[in-house]
Amino acid sequence: MKIKAIIFAGILGLLWAVCATAQPRTKATPSAAAIYSREDADAMRTDGEQRFRANCGRCHAAPQKFPPRMMATIVRHMRVRATITDEEMRLILHYMTQ
Amino acid sequence: MTGGQVSLSFNALRQRIADCETGRSAQQSAALWFDRDFLCVDVTSVTCLDLRLTDNQPRHPKIGEKLKFSFKSQGRCRKDAVLLLATVAFLLCLAPRLLAQAADTERPIPILTGNAGFFTHVNGGKSELVPEIHPVILFPIGNRWLIEARGEFEAEFERPDGGGAYRGKVDKGLDYLQADFIANRYVTITGGRFLTPFGIYNERLYPIWIRSLTNEPLIFPLGTGSSDGVMLRGGFALSPKVNLNYASYFSTLSTVNKFEADRKIGGRIGFFLPGQRIEAGASWQKLLQEERPNSFGFHFAWQPIPLPLNLRSEYVRSNEGSGYWLEAAYRLSQLRLWNKVMRRTEIVGRAQQLFAGTISEEEAYQYGLPDVNTRQGEFGINYYLHDGLKATASYGRRFSKDGNLNVWTVGIAYRFVFPLARLGSR
Repeated sequence: MKIKAIIFAGILGLLWAVCATAQPRTKATPSAAAIYSREDADAMRTDGEQRFRANCGRCHAAPQKFPPRMMATIVRHMRVRATITDEEMRLILHYMTQ
Repeated sequence: MTGGQVSLSFNALRQRIADCETGRSAQQSAALWFDRDFLCVDVTSVTCLDLRLTDNQPRHPKIGEKLKFSFKSQGRCRKDAVLLLATVAFLLCLAPRLLAQAADTERPIPILTGNAGFFTHVNGGKSELVPEIHPVILFPIGNRWLIEARGEFEAEFERPDGGGAYRGKVDKGLDYLQADFIANRYVTITGGRFLTPFGIYNERLYPIWIRSLTNEPLIFPLGTGSSDGVMLRGGFALSPKVNLNYASYFSTLSTVNKFEADRKIGGRIGFFLPGQRIEAGASWQKLLQEERPNSFGFHFAWQPIPLPLNLRSEYVRSNEGSGYWLEAAYRLSQLRLWNKVMRRTEIVGRAQQLFAGTISEEEAYQYGLPDVNTRQGEFGINYYLHDGLKATASYGRRFSKDGNLNVWTVGIAYRFVFPLARLGSR
């Protein structure tokens, strides 16, 4: 009984550690059947541009492209301010840094 | 084994993949081969092939493209399970270090951004010079945190009634000083002083380099401003065609200088259709002081895809007043005549109306609201000289019981961005 309690506590501890250190999800969950394709940078860029126009373009025109680490800060700021989704943030960041 | 060139319908391809998964020898097919753990296929026809590679990104593969599909036999699954457990245990030990390394490669840096402008207003024949600057500091920490703050320095210089040089004072304020924690893809937790999420103008359209007309809408003071407290907010896809965004907050009473806020609760919810570029939403706020009135707001925004047109509107109903504004901004980029100039030019129109609320004249003045029913029409033109730099001019006519007057504005606005750390290499 005591061993079970220790194991249970250990599992809980591991779960806590996983949750505490996990990064926010940044990629869409792959479908069950066809799971993976090679990275298609052009498709991502096109998709990112569409997301930019649909989300950011509602308020302002496209700004110049900044260095990636600056852009990462700006996109995080806009994720909070404009409540864009996690997926959109990832695609827009890709578009703005390519 | 590399494959030859054969055409496959989607169903045929799916059957061959299923055959491989069940151990049949379809992997020897001319179009399929193994590359380590992946089953690969040459795409030779896209006539019937429509693969959904991820949940949200349906796409057609190109002819000649090589696609990969993963599949696992039962035996491999057992081995993978053991390997997975070992990997998880290993990662748990090294997780903090691994995350730190991942963060180093694309780590966001602190930046100083914001906007500055200089405007001349002529209201009813009385001119006013308004230089202003709104610095914004963004300080990201790790992968989930962002500290952000915006200050406001705005002067209003007027000539004295008897004539003479322009005089005035500089107003200083702190619009927000907040810590954001991105808890997961659905929720961001914000604490500190933040812009009250009521409608869309306060949070999204207020910066002078973004707003299409320099003058704020008449109803802008209703329900907006800043709050001190806690906020939960986020945005996520309800379906591929609909995004939901929301914000809910509690603000405490504060009389601390530069941190003044009312005790209140409220929230905003919006639905955005990315395909049509339409957003509609509603806001609610309840004051929790001696009086406990409710305020309601509705917003709508639409960007028709075929046109460089931006339509926005808000409606507010509250004790302090009610009203609406409706704005259309059209970029002249589709005009062929003088296209180099026209594509940088935007024309704007706004119609608005305010119905005075049940507050005294003095209270209305404190809120920055007209104390009588007021209507206003306004037209403007913006010329974008450079990214983040625009010249603007507008004319409006205000109608009210106190008298009608002309409202002229001309000015320039600039948005700046500076890194506060070494950019490094990605």
